[in-house]
Amino acid sequence: MSLFRQSGRYSDVATAPLLGLILVLVLSIIPLAEKITDWVLVGFFGICAVRLFLNRPGVRLPSLPVKLVLFAGGIGGVILTYGSPVGIEPGFSILAVLVSLKLIEANGARDFHVLALLGFFLALCDLFTEQDLTRWMYVGVIFLLLLATLVHFHRGQESPSYGRSTVLAGTLLVQALPIALILFLFFPRVYGGFRFQFSQSLLYGNGMSDRLSPGSISSLALSDQVVFRADFPSGGMPPISEMYWRGGVLWQGDGMTWTKGRALLREFRPRQFAGPMIYQRISLQPHGEHWMFALDHPASAVRGAEYVAGNILRSEHAITSRLRYEVTSQPEDHEIILPADQRVATTALPAHVPPRVKELVDGWKARNPDPKAILNAAREYFRDQPFVYTVNPGTYDDPRALEEFLFVRREGFCEHYAAAFATLMRVAGVPSRVVIGYQGGDYNSLGKYVIVRQAHSHAWCEIWLKGEGWQRVDPTGLIAPDRITSTLNSYLEARGGQGDDGSAGQRAGSAKGWHRLEHQLQLAWDSVNYQWDLRVLNFDQEAQRSFLFSLGLGSTSWTEIFIWLLVATAGFVAGLSLWLRKPGTAVDKVGRGYARFCSALARAGIAREPWEGPQDFSRRAAQRFPAQAEIIQRISDRYIELRYSAAPANPQPFLDEVRHLPRFTATASSS
Amino acid sequence: MLNGATGRVWVVPNGRTLGLFAVLVAMCYAGASQGNGAAYLLCFLLTSLAVVSLVHAWANLQGLEVSVESIAPVFVGEEVVVHVIVTAAKGQPRFGIRVLTRRGTPPLSACLIKAGASSRIEVRFPAEMRGRYHRLDLELTSDYPLGFLTARQLLTIAHDYDVYPAPRGVIPWPRSLAPTRQPRDGTLREGDDFGGTRLWRRGESQRHIDWKAAARTPVLLTKQWTGEVDEILHFDWTTLPSLDSEARLSQLAKWIVAAEHSFETYELRLPGKTIRPARGDRHYYECLRSLAAFVEPGTETPP
Repeated sequence: MSLFRQSGRYSDVATAPLLGLILVLVLSIIPLAEKITDWVLVGFFGICAVRLFLNRPGVRLPSLPVKLVLFAGGIGGVILTYGSPVGIEPGFSILAVLVSLKLIEANGARDFHVLALLGFFLALCDLFTEQDLTRWMYVGVIFLLLLATLVHFHRGQESPSYGRSTVLAGTLLVQALPIALILFLFFPRVYGGFRFQFSQSLLYGNGMSDRLSPGSISSLALSDQVVFRADFPSGGMPPISEMYWRGGVLWQGDGMTWTKGRALLREFRPRQFAGPMIYQRISLQPHGEHWMFALDHPASAVRGAEYVAGNILRSEHAITSRLRYEVTSQPEDHEIILPADQRVATTALPAHVPPRVKELVDGWKARNPDPKAILNAAREYFRDQPFVYTVNPGTYDDPRALEEFLFVRREGFCEHYAAAFATLMRVAGVPSRVVIGYQGGDYNSLGKYVIVRQAHSHAWCEIWLKGEGWQRVDPTGLIAPDRITSTLNSYLEARGGQGDDGSAGQRAGSAKGWHRLEHQLQLAWDSVNYQWDLRVLNFDQEAQRSFLFSLGLGSTSWTEIFIWLLVATAGFVAGLSLWLRKPGTAVDKVGRGYARFCSALARAGIAREPWEGPQDFSRRAAQRFPAQAEIIQRISDRYIELRYSAAPANPQPFLDEVRHLPRFTATASSS
Repeated sequence: MLNGATGRVWVVPNGRTLGLFAVLVAMCYAGASQGNGAAYLLCFLLTSLAVVSLVHAWANLQGLEVSVESIAPVFVGEEVVVHVIVTAAKGQPRFGIRVLTRRGTPPLSACLIKAGASSRIEVRFPAEMRGRYHRLDLELTSDYPLGFLTARQLLTIAHDYDVYPAPRGVIPWPRSLAPTRQPRDGTLREGDDFGGTRLWRRGESQRHIDWKAAARTPVLLTKQWTGEVDEILHFDWTTLPSLDSEARLSQLAKWIVAAEHSFETYELRLPGKTIRPARGDRHYYECLRSLAAFVEPGTETPP
């Protein structure tokens, strides 16, 4: 029972820093909100409010049993919600629970610092989910506020101005930049065997999957999340409409659903480097999978990636951090030989071919059995029939999906067309496969690079023509040619605008000017972001080595660099201390003056006793030297006023008086 | 009496430094294991902030002048109260300054020292040993600005203060065996005649107050009779052989305090020192100071 009687303590944290700290914690938890289960989030905000409410005189903080119950409930609840305490989302949720528990019991300087450190840690977690410049600026603000909170906390309650604390925090941050930069450039980067990997791809949002089914790409169509950026340092950038970024190949088709199928042999084809080469530098955002993208199709090997059947690159490890690689593509180089296993895979018929489909294909075959003629017939079919390209084609249910799509509704997105087309080719006996990846991109004219977003997700087919090798066929281009030359968003916008009347068109015109400006700003921002990405976030072991080489430090040992690092830091510290050094030493002039006064009296024969206050002493001295009683009294009064009065007084009269002390003599007093 | 003193300012790690270090290691590990430039950058920024805050912590304490006002004497067991004057030069104000003594409890709140001004900070510590002390050890600390490091300055200030032996003991004071008769006011006359009035002092018996005069004048007067004499108390070290020396000093201190309170005239005799009979503040403090500074013959140094 003693446990229950030991109720909580009173809060002794000043409200202003506590409020600041809570604000920072809330700000740093917001970007993680998606990864934290809802009730934990609600609980967190609730506890923030409760803690502020408790921060009043006379209100007790929760007692130990209450905290234990909250702890058990919080952790248990998270485990129940996710079924396991391991993983990204349970991890972040548990972190949020711990932060809120620390917050509710926070009391005194130690807890305050623990919470501030948790704040720094949360800022790190924010950067794990997203690292672009916007997020960095957000984290910068969190840092600044956190520092301001700490400074304000240590300034004590006598300093009411939070603004000044924030200014000092900003100063600290700015002064910290040089050392941070030196460390960043010279601190040895190690990537070692102690790599741990996030077990789930939860961190990376939705992306390409290796299963193509109706709706799998259209779900990404409106996401402007950046997948990768690419530039072409040696020129030769193809037109946007020609940019087919190859990501994966699906070999096994079943009507409208395509999958990777069984693993095929690695490709060892005799390379005949033919046609132009396009050299690209790609900086890929982490997506947690093995995809690596390159223009159709990559012809060079990339470190850390294997070249697999279907002319695609596949990373050896899941890509959990931004990856930068260089690759050369050869759009016009086609294989001549179809390996046996690929032939088997690319001609395998779907398990069930609807009779109506068979009928259609047989019709084409009857006209001309040449694969090229069949291809043309299929193209014509898609062009002539009233097919509609739309992001919301509705759902197609599997057993009759293909039939429904081809003959009834005829509404679909790129994955519908690619899947259906490839299936038709297989039924006709032409080897075919579906390629998934991205098509097009936003060209950033400022930075001269291409941004590829999730909205550029695309699927197309390839068919094998004897003697010509794999040929790309993009059925989407047959239905909606504009789609290939513009991004999906602008395509949809343009199409939506067609139906409007004139006045709306004018409005759209002025809106367009604004739109263009907005677009320009976006491009400029993305360009800065790209440079940040390229130069800062991708500064890895490799980049560091080449940087050191460029400085002529290529052969310097790490020990030596480390020593120089310390020397540079020490130099900076010395410089900063010199700058911050306070001018002159402070002198307690008032104290010295009074000491002078006392010693003058002591020389005259009346010493101040240690127990004597200035008032008693002056009374005694005045009795001893009645002639100078007035001056003794005045000096003492001024001293007392300077030392003990609440309002600051001007010390000058006192100092003048003390400088010109008379000789204290008892002769004037006649007894 | 007021002595400035300066010591070197050191910035030392504290418990929170360890916490910061743990977070830095976590960031560095995250950077290395994930190949994450962001985590590295954050780690370097925080490291650099710690280094910069070190300089600021130093500058916050550097260039302060510390002096001490006169320290009132106390008995052992009481608290020595020290008024420390901390003066900052013009420029930046100083924040979160705490003044500690070696044995004292740390102060609850830190204080702000305005630029170009002095602040009085009261520090208390228990008086444990009697004696005359000539120096005071002070420590200035501050966790400002970020709290991850503590700036510290150790100061030794030359300053005298006394700690008197605790007034303790159960032995009643000795009645004079052969009372020395001595006139109270120095004038000796024949007979017990009325000798005029003088100002009544607080604590004196009310029996002799001139109540008639009280009605006329705003002050109270007490009647004096010539020939009135006081008994003189002799407090002698040698009369207490059953106690050890500290207990003797405590007993003597108790007698002195009691005698002073009841307006007795007393004399203090210590080995090698005699303080002539008298009373009043000066005498009282002189006696107690002798007790504080007492060194038993044969022993070497005073405490």
